[in-house]
Amino acid sequence: MSYIIASDLNQALQILRDSKGQARVIAGATDLFLQTLPAELVDLAELYETTQLEESGGLLSIGSAVTHASAARSLLIRSKAAALAEACAMIGSPQVRNIGTIGGNVANAAPAADAAVALVALGAKAVITDIEGQTREEAVEELYAGYNRSVIDSSSEIIGRLVFKPCAAGEGSAFMRFAPRRALALPLVNVAARIRVSGRRIEAVRMVAAPVKPAPTRLFETEALLQEIIPGHEIWAKVEEAAASEVEVRGSILRCSGQYRRHLVGTLAERVLKEAYQRACASDGGET
Amino acid sequence: MKKQAINFELNGEPVEVFTEASGSLLHLLRGQLGLLGTKEGCGAGECGACTVLLDNQPVNACLVPAAKIEGKQVQTIESLSTSNTVHPLQESFVKKGAVQCGFCTPGMVLSAYALLKANPDPTPGEVKEAISGNLCRCSGYKQVEEAVLDAAEKKDQASSED
Repeated sequence: MSYIIASDLNQALQILRDSKGQARVIAGATDLFLQTLPAELVDLAELYETTQLEESGGLLSIGSAVTHASAARSLLIRSKAAALAEACAMIGSPQVRNIGTIGGNVANAAPAADAAVALVALGAKAVITDIEGQTREEAVEELYAGYNRSVIDSSSEIIGRLVFKPCAAGEGSAFMRFAPRRALALPLVNVAARIRVSGRRIEAVRMVAAPVKPAPTRLFETEALLQEIIPGHEIWAKVEEAAASEVEVRGSILRCSGQYRRHLVGTLAERVLKEAYQRACASDGGET
Repeated sequence: MKKQAINFELNGEPVEVFTEASGSLLHLLRGQLGLLGTKEGCGAGECGACTVLLDNQPVNACLVPAAKIEGKQVQTIESLSTSNTVHPLQESFVKKGAVQCGFCTPGMVLSAYALLKANPDPTPGEVKEAISGNLCRCSGYKQVEEAVLDAAEKKDQASSED
């Protein structure tokens, strides 16, 4: 086996081209290193292109090799994409967060990967470059081919970065998970939301829960309940009910029953929406 | 299996090794370099017994491909003590009864060491967070938390005496 630490994106693509399908890309390695390794690995963790975190041209751009720890610490992400900072702070353990990457969290395609769930709520797209040199953008929720299977072919495609519109004035986001312990535990359920308000009226909302399907799943019916209203006590109660009833969830002998998971989706949906709504209102600059 | 040369800094000294690229940093440290202070628990990134510092950040050595450390700094538990003395943080672990079987201790100490370096005056919550990736199955976490806070206090006193 050979292991090459790539020095720039073009070199990484060249190695993939030359290896004719034998090489795969790797970044933090926290998931892939536990599996059977391919003949060649190309490490993307040191590239300039994949390690930048910036706001430019009206978009937040997060390099795919930005670690969970750096994302959770970043003032830019905490202030303009709070859901992502909250999700990244809960992945694995400090040791895993120091090396695991956001791009890896997406490409590994686990159904309830915390960062990916937050990214879908924020409306993030992955910027993908292939060995032909073509670059395309795809919504994160479109990158799932099945349970733990990504549509990204890591022997010929590289996620360079993830991009989305940062939360502006009048917008807020939040993420919550429920797990048996607060560290080193996979979530039984995780939920994220992004809301835009004007005055106290909800103008737009994106609400995501997992694990429901192979990909983080939008709760469209729950979102519809909240369009163009000023939410009050009754609406929040309806949200809990709607979110719980619109998901098709499975139980697992190791984790919890389907019924319990459904209950958790409802409870977390209400809490996350309230939190995102409050943040949106607080950032609305007092305009009514 | 193909071997490759890797240059890195180990406990402050430059080192060159010739090793299997697909092996883990943990096995490189224990098997090839004879540094047995780093423990192998689960081997899957879930227990923290193999915690080492990679460029000053705690990581699970079992999840780090050996080839990934090229050009980086690795610090293991062996760097904290000499044959005659132990680090003040280790003294606090002894004083507070934070060691029972000792298997998780090297990892706990390194997680705490990294915390205190970045944040010399942590809150109890920050200590809990810092050691949340290190599992202990015997003495529990309370004594460890007390030991880390004790070490922080000592550091505080030492710097105010300067």
